[in-house]
Amino acid sequence: MTAVMQEAGAPFGAALPSGGPAIVTEGLTKRFRGGQVAVDALDLTVPRGSVFGFLGPNGSGKTTTIRMLLGLVAPTSGEYSVLGLPQAQALPRVGALVEGPAFYPYLSGTANLARFDAADPTAARGTAGRRIAEALERVGLSAAAGKRYRNYSLGMRQRLAIAAALLGPRELLILDEPTNGLDPQGTREVRALVKEIAADGTTVFVSSHLLAEVEQMCTHAAIMRAGRLVAQGTIASLSAGLVARVRVETPDAADAARVLGTLGLADVRPGDGDVTAELGGHAPERINAALVGEGVAVRGLAVVRPSLEDVFVGLTGEGFDVDG
Amino acid sequence: MRRGTFVRWGVPIAAAAVIGGAIGAGPVIAAVSGEPVLPERSAQQLLADAVAANSKDGGLPPMSGTVQQTASLGLPALPQAGEASPLSLLSGSHEVKVWYGAADKLRVAMPTQLNETNLIVNGGQAWYWDSSTNTATKLTIKAGARKEHELPTPRPTDLTPQQVAERLLANVDQHTAVRVINTAEVAGRPVYQLVLAPKAEGSLVQEIRIALDGETYVPLQVQVYAKGSAEPAFQVGFTQVTFTPPAAENFTFTPPAGAKVEEQTIGADFAENEEQRAEHAKDVAGQAKVVGEGWAAVAVVPFSLENLKTEAPAGQERGADPGALVDSVLKSATPVSGTWGSGKLIRTKLVTALLTDDGRLLVGAVTPEEITKAAGVK
Amino acid sequence: MSTAEKADTRAATGDPEAGTDAARRTPGLVPVAETMRTTERHPPEPSGAVPAGAGRPWAFWRLLGSELGLTFRRPRNLVMLAVLGAVPVIIGIALRVVASDGQMGGMIQDVAGNSLMLTFVSFSFLVLLLMPVAVSVVAGDSIAGEAGAGTLRYLLAAPAGRTRLLLVKYLNAVVFAYAVTAVVALSALLTGLILFPAGPVTLLSGTTVSVADGLLRILITVGYVGAAMAALAAIALALSTFTEVSIGAIAATLVLVIVCQVLRAIPELGSITPYLLPTRFTNFDAVLRSPIDTGALREGLLAFGAYIVLFGSIAWARFSGKDITS
Repeated sequence: MTAVMQEAGAPFGAALPSGGPAIVTEGLTKRFRGGQVAVDALDLTVPRGSVFGFLGPNGSGKTTTIRMLLGLVAPTSGEYSVLGLPQAQALPRVGALVEGPAFYPYLSGTANLARFDAADPTAARGTAGRRIAEALERVGLSAAAGKRYRNYSLGMRQRLAIAAALLGPRELLILDEPTNGLDPQGTREVRALVKEIAADGTTVFVSSHLLAEVEQMCTHAAIMRAGRLVAQGTIASLSAGLVARVRVETPDAADAARVLGTLGLADVRPGDGDVTAELGGHAPERINAALVGEGVAVRGLAVVRPSLEDVFVGLTGEGFDVDG
Repeated sequence: MRRGTFVRWGVPIAAAAVIGGAIGAGPVIAAVSGEPVLPERSAQQLLADAVAANSKDGGLPPMSGTVQQTASLGLPALPQAGEASPLSLLSGSHEVKVWYGAADKLRVAMPTQLNETNLIVNGGQAWYWDSSTNTATKLTIKAGARKEHELPTPRPTDLTPQQVAERLLANVDQHTAVRVINTAEVAGRPVYQLVLAPKAEGSLVQEIRIALDGETYVPLQVQVYAKGSAEPAFQVGFTQVTFTPPAAENFTFTPPAGAKVEEQTIGADFAENEEQRAEHAKDVAGQAKVVGEGWAAVAVVPFSLENLKTEAPAGQERGADPGALVDSVLKSATPVSGTWGSGKLIRTKLVTALLTDDGRLLVGAVTPEEITKAAGVK
Repeated sequence: MSTAEKADTRAATGDPEAGTDAARRTPGLVPVAETMRTTERHPPEPSGAVPAGAGRPWAFWRLLGSELGLTFRRPRNLVMLAVLGAVPVIIGIALRVVASDGQMGGMIQDVAGNSLMLTFVSFSFLVLLLMPVAVSVVAGDSIAGEAGAGTLRYLLAAPAGRTRLLLVKYLNAVVFAYAVTAVVALSALLTGLILFPAGPVTLLSGTTVSVADGLLRILITVGYVGAAMAALAAIALALSTFTEVSIGAIAATLVLVIVCQVLRAIPELGSITPYLLPTRFTNFDAVLRSPIDTGALREGLLAFGAYIVLFGSIAWARFSGKDITS
């Protein structure tokens, strides 16, 4: 994978809304009856204002973590804090999508949202109609607002669930696999929506088993594997431990390798029709000029930055279930 | 385990404890506290007081309440008997409501599921109402009939209460140990319990407890305990009682519109019947004898099965067929034999009966050993 | 020791464990531990109870309204109410046909003689099984149904608050129980008035009371039978918190009712029948006695209260600590 990574937005800790992290967990552990450890000593810090990717294969404990944060599942040990508030005060400021949409099939979209709005003790009944209409508008469901939920398509259901998460002014949005089951168009829409929401200053905590999704949407990420946190930080910092490499496509691999060597690049690896080396502090255009100057036929030259998958493989020594 | 789990489940456990406590509070508190709630009395004093109290205005004070009768005699399963059948009283629990205004003002109601039978006595007139048949029966009691059947108890006017008590106890002392418990409660009222315990070894009766209200000396409860059983085998008593005059409308009855109204004069019928019965009883009594004395007495009566089956009171519309009842009782009987012959033994908690093959019926509140011993006495 | 204190101690003493933690947590990565010590943390509150005053004062009633809206708009529940409303009509017509034959006794006679009696006869039939079925369906479905559909997690994340949601669910079941009772009473009353003559009512005790008194006694019966169904609803609600399959909770409640009816029919078990809930269902006939047997009614209501407290607290103990994994 050669996706070029944009330098992640704000550096950690700077230009974020005050009031501490949106989510902190310390030693958070969930052992289900029967001894299965779903989450093992999780120490997670989600900065305010970030779009935080919570990454891991299916079954790595992401959903259990989210359920604990929402008070649905009690931790076996450890502590957590959401928005630095007691749970009952924090949850009204949190919009959540957990493990796919779940609604009353015999109710319309509007009636479904009204139902969940009624469950929130801080939501005002007087403004419910307006807020529901706005939420539906935001996810593009206004036209289907009166339709019964059972007649909704999978994409519409997913969007209705996001609308439910947007019913009130939220400081934190927890989205568990928000693009699950969506077609590419729907996926793009959700990503656009997440960016839009994040632009308003809302912290978005999005879990996914798709690396590409997290790379495209998120400023920060954490990687889970088998219930344990493997890494967390800004996207940039995650890949900082791995160096960028330059890759030269050329029929004269041996010559190219020699030139790169003389330029002082480390770890030169000549291959069949290409040569790669650590980029180090060198400017790619200088390398290109040197190669051409030495008469090496350069067909292509690219800087390969490490992807999250590389990070993952580097950290775990395992491949990543990309298909999901 | 998760924090608070024990605290949370403590709530329903505490609720269960409170409810269980509320259900069992009465007997538990009475048993645990055991503190005298009434001044101590000897049996003689108690009886004297009771006689004195009840002879004041010539009878019981006005009262109303619920009387519950419970029997667990350990009888073999009876065939389905109707609720109103007297046989049904031999097992399970039954409740009647009683309103007592004066000697000639009485209402007894037996409520059953969506039905009720009522006996209302007011002066010389009485009504019997059965809602299941929608029938009101006007009972006229023949003036003469009442007197004849008055019990031959010592008349309170004849003797002083102390003398009555003395006499009663003198007769009783020979076979019975008598004591008084002053810590019991019946229907929420403190009572004296007169406890009569048979001295005879062979008796099945452990003791009989008669509860007298601590204030009015009205008998509120009678319990019969069988040997080796903590719960009374037979119990009848008030579960709720108030000593205030009941409302007058309890003693007036007007047959409702649409009800069948029948008339019956019980005096004559009854007397006639009674004569026949008395004759028959005399017959039997001539042939009957009693073996043993006091609590260990065993009645021996000539008897045959055919006899019973044909003689069973006819005209019992409700309830079980007596023949079937006898069959079912006999089925549970155990065949026994000895030097006296052989027969069938029927055991209950309180009564043992032996039907010998040579046509005798022995009945007594005694152990099977005693009854077979009695069977040997020709 | 709270986490905040623990964190303070660590910061102050430089607890070595904190250092190793951080090292393990972020292998070769930017440490993020700096935020850990400064953040105010609160212990988790798995019960999710909304403290009093946290919400708007009428928020509870809004949720109850939403719940009632769901219950009384749901076609299944409306069908059950309709069926229960139809039964007294059928009984009335059947009794009318029988009564014209002339042969009759007991309650049939009573109904034929007075329109109000149909209400009591209808209750005596329906209270044994059909009304418990309707109430069990709503109360047994209340938590299990939401759990099965997955909507429970969204309600709790809203956050409805577990205790609050349970209370709303139970009150909803109680309202439905009284709705069932009222539908039966009204249907029986109307049917009775159409098919049979109105007039003074003859009670089981043989006493006759006025129509107004009779209506008052029907009102007392509705109150009593509704309370009986509310007690049953508490059992169904408790069972509902133990499963994610609502039919399981409903079936279990009905099995309990039927087992109790069977136990009542066994004379040897006479000593336990007073403690079985269904024993008390039919005790509304106390209003048909003269004077009204207030003792029986009070005992019945106390029994219902005991069942409600016991099973309500079981439901709460279970639900407030339950992991919602559906």
